[in-house]
Amino acid sequence: MDDRDVTQDLRVPWEEDPSELYEHAPCGYLTTTPDGTIVKVNETFLAWTGYTRAELVGVRRFRDLLTPGGQIYHESHYAPLLRMQNDVHEVAFDLVCADGRRLPALINSMLGRDPAGLPRLIRTMIFNATERRGYERELLNARRIAEDSERRVRVLQTIVAGLAAAATEAEVAEVLAGAPGPAFGATASSVWLTGADRGGLIEVSAADPGVTAGAAAEVARRGELEVISAPEKAEDRFGGLAEAMRDAGRTLAVLLPLATGPADDQTEVRGVLAFSFAEPRELSESELLVIRLLGQQGGQSLDRARLYDAARLREARVTFLAGTTREMDEENRLTARAKRLVERLVPEVAEWASVRLQVGGPPGLLAESGGPPPDPELIADQIARVTVSGEALWPAADATEVGTAVLPLTARGLVLGTLALRLEGARRTVAESGFLTELTSRAALALENARLYEQERAVARTLQRSLLSGSTPRDSRFVVETQYHAAAQGLEVGGDWFDAFMISPDKLAVVVGDVVGRGIDAAATMGQLRSAVRAVASADAGPAKVLRKLDRFVDRVITAKMATVAYCEINLATNVMTYACAGHLPPLLHEPASQARYLMGARSAPLGSRAGKRDRVEEKVKLASGSRLLLYTDGLVERRNRPIDQGLDTMAREWARRRDAPTAGLAAGFADLMVGTDHTDDVCLLCLTLGTDERLERSIGADPMQIALLRKEMKAWLITHQVDEESVQGVLLACSEAVANAIEHGYRDDPFGQVEIVATVSGEAVEVVVADRGVWRPARSDVSRGRGLQLIRQVMDHVSFDRSAGTVVTMRRTRKENA
Amino acid sequence: MNHEAGKAVAYSRRGPVAVVSITGEIDLATAAAIGREIVGYVGGEDPVVIDLTSVSFLDSAGVRLLDWIVGDMDDRGRGIRLVVGATGPARMTLQLCAFRDDLLATDLDKAAADLGG
Repeated sequence: MDDRDVTQDLRVPWEEDPSELYEHAPCGYLTTTPDGTIVKVNETFLAWTGYTRAELVGVRRFRDLLTPGGQIYHESHYAPLLRMQNDVHEVAFDLVCADGRRLPALINSMLGRDPAGLPRLIRTMIFNATERRGYERELLNARRIAEDSERRVRVLQTIVAGLAAAATEAEVAEVLAGAPGPAFGATASSVWLTGADRGGLIEVSAADPGVTAGAAAEVARRGELEVISAPEKAEDRFGGLAEAMRDAGRTLAVLLPLATGPADDQTEVRGVLAFSFAEPRELSESELLVIRLLGQQGGQSLDRARLYDAARLREARVTFLAGTTREMDEENRLTARAKRLVERLVPEVAEWASVRLQVGGPPGLLAESGGPPPDPELIADQIARVTVSGEALWPAADATEVGTAVLPLTARGLVLGTLALRLEGARRTVAESGFLTELTSRAALALENARLYEQERAVARTLQRSLLSGSTPRDSRFVVETQYHAAAQGLEVGGDWFDAFMISPDKLAVVVGDVVGRGIDAAATMGQLRSAVRAVASADAGPAKVLRKLDRFVDRVITAKMATVAYCEINLATNVMTYACAGHLPPLLHEPASQARYLMGARSAPLGSRAGKRDRVEEKVKLASGSRLLLYTDGLVERRNRPIDQGLDTMAREWARRRDAPTAGLAAGFADLMVGTDHTDDVCLLCLTLGTDERLERSIGADPMQIALLRKEMKAWLITHQVDEESVQGVLLACSEAVANAIEHGYRDDPFGQVEIVATVSGEAVEVVVADRGVWRPARSDVSRGRGLQLIRQVMDHVSFDRSAGTVVTMRRTRKENA
Repeated sequence: MNHEAGKAVAYSRRGPVAVVSITGEIDLATAAAIGREIVGYVGGEDPVVIDLTSVSFLDSAGVRLLDWIVGDMDDRGRGIRLVVGATGPARMTLQLCAFRDDLLATDLDKAAADLGG
């Protein structure tokens, strides 16, 4: 091999003729005058365009070979550019060939100038751009496709974002219905969703008349995308669809199953998206791919929304169940609880609800709400069946009208009663029936508890009544009246009690107490404690000792701990009362001639107290004849809205006001007065009226002021014996006159004289004997004394005077009821 | 429960009529004090109404006092009425003592009107 300088031209093995190179160059050459007239052209150009040299040289201008558009561009751009820049590069022109064919070309031109700078000639080089133009067209096409697909992707992204944001099935359906328009240019669209129990399609949005529900159902069943490219193609496969497409003027219809994945056994169809086109349209493969993807996205979104919906519903139901249980618990009574239940169910769950009780009383309606009620005979039959079987009866799921469900209220294995509900169609699903079953079982428990509570309450009341019903002692020397006012509102029975019994023929014990707690335990404890008081009281014990013994008793009976007791013993021979209070409210005493007062002495701690003062003390008080003593429990005076002091003051005032009231009904009347009928606590009280013996014996000084006091005592005594008012007034007047006579006349000269008064009462009459030891003077010496005697005769049925030693006036008045 | 005569007697007027209201018991113990109290009101020229509706007891000493006041008013030609409840201790005693029907009234306003009030 020769060593050659490669920078030198290689000498080719054949003669390279420059003219040959010009003529057959791989590009066309044109030389024109400045006006464009072709003066020289190479063979390549002629071969490409099909012209002969003679057809061009000296005959045509370059511009004559261009298309009309090219010619305009030549005038406006090419020629001016060339003149200014002396050259133009890569300008695309279509050359019109001899046979009219167009040759895409790229043109480079150079303007040659003479030494004077004037244009001399233009040299133009032409490249065949046929293939290059093809690439460009493909490129543009590809770009258009890419842009289309990008736009579709953007639309799809918007749709996917919309689907992700949609929280409910309805919202998902709305996003899907709006998709085919912007994504594919569809004219209209419709959406169907499968029912909650996978039964049938539910139309959600039916904006497209070009598709039919029947076709959608078929597509949902098959789970395959259907593209109907002309009405006639639907003819034999989807009845009615072809007609619908024609009527709506549709050329293309798409029925897309909304499935959770590609069509296979695992996939569930959640709905169908259908859309159609009025303009003639073909769907590309990529579009079909996107449509399938849209179907999957939609199906998955529906699935998710359905789960959300279910979760929300579950949460709402749990809240509802908890709320129902809580609301029912707020009431204690059976009826009130049943009422709460039905009021909560209507209208939120049912249009009508009723609770019927089958046990624990006469079967019957406990509570009802809403309406209209179902046919009574039908419902009675259903209730009877449910009560026997213990199985719920559900309305048929496919019934279109409102149906009735009857559920057994079963608690602790017992069918307590039934809950009947009138349900709308949408409520009759499997999930709903599970919820209602749960609700019913909870409600049953709440109702059963209320029933047991009422049963216990009734037992406790009965027990309490039987314990308190023992007759109080009857004696002519006193009257005991008792009253037990059960709380008007549905609270449990309390542990209040009273008792009165004879310790010995001359010793009366009265007691009122209060056991801590409520219910049957409190009632039973109260009974024990009451018996214990009777057992430990004895003729020589006394109140302090009784309390000490009770302290020992409650050490064994724990439930009686902290019970409070007011205990009094009255010696009927001396009218001396000994009393003691173990943590109890003080007894209220009213004596005939004074204010009512609380006996604040002899106080110590409640029974069995550890912190309190357990040193049991007692006090004595002498009771005047006609005294009234009130023992009571705190329900009588305690009110939430006033301090207890105020309650005690009010009670003392009211008690004093009733000093002249008959003893019969005194306790009941006083309880009514103090607490009314709407009290929240049990009230227990015991009224003791003393000095009701048939004889009232008094000895008073010769002082007119004493007569008023005697009248007060005598009035109380007469009222205690239920002497009628007119007789009371008459006897008081006669007695006053007789005593006044004795003081004014018998003891005119003896300020220390004594007047003896003895009054007796029997069922038939009142007799008063007034005796003095003074000196009798004839009546006629004093007119007014005559009037006094006259008054005595007028008001008394029988009057006699004995003046053998002083004066003894014996007066008798027949009682009105026996007159 | 002592009776203060001063508290037991109240005085007012119904036009030209003097009204004396007595409260509480009128008996041997209180009649004298009440009488002294009333005299000041009933000694003038005006007709008098004595209101006994609030009297809870009236004995012959009280009757003696009222009898004396009525007699004095009659003697001087002045009108007088005793107002008592339809029932009650004061009416019972006065009726037992056969006071004239024209003296007794049950309505204070009407009694005062009768006397020109």
